[in-house]
Amino acid sequence: MLKPLTLCILLLVGGALFDSTAQKPILDVGLRLQKTINLYNENGLSVQYCHPTLCYDKLYFGLSYVTSRLGTAFNSNAIKQDNYILSGTWMFRPQHVVRPFARLNTGYFHADYEYAIFDDLDNNSMLLSPEGGVCFETHLPLKISLSMGYNVITGNGVNGAGTLFPLYLQTTLSWNVFK
Amino acid sequence: MRLYVMVMLMGLVAGCDKTPPITDAMLDSGTFFDPSLYHPEKYLTSIAHPNPTTAEKARPVIIACHGYSATTFEWDEFRAWLKPDSDQVFVSQVLLGGHGRSYEEFKQSTWRDWQDSIKSEYERLVKEGYTNINFAGSSTSGPLIMELVASGYFNGKVTPKNILLVDPIVVASNKTLSLVSILGPMLGYIDTGNSAAEDKYWYHFRPQETLQELQTLLNRVRKDLEKGVTLPAGCAMKVYKSKKDDVADPVSAVMIYKGMRTASGGLIDMDMVDSRLHVFTRLDLRTDATAKDRENQQNAFQDMENRVLNIMAE
Repeated sequence: MLKPLTLCILLLVGGALFDSTAQKPILDVGLRLQKTINLYNENGLSVQYCHPTLCYDKLYFGLSYVTSRLGTAFNSNAIKQDNYILSGTWMFRPQHVVRPFARLNTGYFHADYEYAIFDDLDNNSMLLSPEGGVCFETHLPLKISLSMGYNVITGNGVNGAGTLFPLYLQTTLSWNVFK
Repeated sequence: MRLYVMVMLMGLVAGCDKTPPITDAMLDSGTFFDPSLYHPEKYLTSIAHPNPTTAEKARPVIIACHGYSATTFEWDEFRAWLKPDSDQVFVSQVLLGGHGRSYEEFKQSTWRDWQDSIKSEYERLVKEGYTNINFAGSSTSGPLIMELVASGYFNGKVTPKNILLVDPIVVASNKTLSLVSILGPMLGYIDTGNSAAEDKYWYHFRPQETLQELQTLLNRVRKDLEKGVTLPAGCAMKVYKSKKDDVADPVSAVMIYKGMRTASGGLIDMDMVDSRLHVFTRLDLRTDATAKDRENQQNAFQDMENRVLNIMAE
């Protein structure tokens, strides 16, 4: 017997694929390029999902992973750090090319200090960041979004991760795989 | 209407008086200066001993350099601690450029000005024939000295024997420094809230221009460390870093440890100190220094002296 979650996912995807008359879910899969002001480039993947029955093409839920390993820390001595992000996004102005959006991210941050001598230093943190920007979409499955975000939780030298800075800019290029 | 409000807000911000309320009791006032400017012979070895004997030329000189907005006061305790051994080690206390004078002079200064006085003392000592030169830097003097290494300044010159950094900063603990280019012009300056006693030795107000210079320096050195910095042959380095530090984030130590290498490709020495103080070697004027803090200070001073005298720890 299939588990309930697996069944839901199969119904959603199956319904999208086989019912050509209903609206299809939107699944934007893409690259997220993030630059922290006065610190690292952290890049990775982003997936944003919207269901037809839930504020279609307005409310998106997302998962992202961005890391300095694919940015500044690639082939350098920069600290290797990872961001695992869950997000909820509200996209304004459906059916328009230029669409402002507001997003709230949460998640988990981890920095690898590599040497045991630094084991006493804080290197993990929860993430919480509001984000706002604009998305460009046409009739193609391609979306380009640009936004600025602010990490509400940062390190302070006593608690928290030292390389979790407040302000960042991000660009996401994504493709709607269901279109 | 919206445009009108925005213009009004910008005008309000731009028109805000950016002159801090400086009093004559503050170093900022320009009514008194760092004592090294009145009596350089008491602070700088190059002035006190301009004609060293052959033995003195080989004696270790420690060029001790203070941090951002501070003065020679930051290394006074080290000098006092070394006094009984003054026939074995010289201490030369440098006042960073733009520091110890007035708020306006500080405001006009750049990180290169701050660094210039370190270079000036080093060059005077080399010219006078000193060969055993060592650096001790606290806080911002850490990146200032590391930048000298990274830029190749010591190539072809007398190699420093030791670089000893106390609580060097590469990343600030206060992450709003990263926003200084946006917030700075709006604020004009930062009020440190220092006590009256501290006001004699640290600037009370920090001009946003100098905070921007600080951020520029930190970015430069961070990127140098990311690429990798190699010490000159014959130069050893040790960092003494507080594990909790509300000024220089302890992650600075991680960046330095990952980025700096000895000439033979080895790691530098690192001591993560069980302290919550920034520049834990300076305890004067602290009202909350504990016995543990005193022990940390004494241990660091002893280790630093042992290193410049090339004494192996027992």
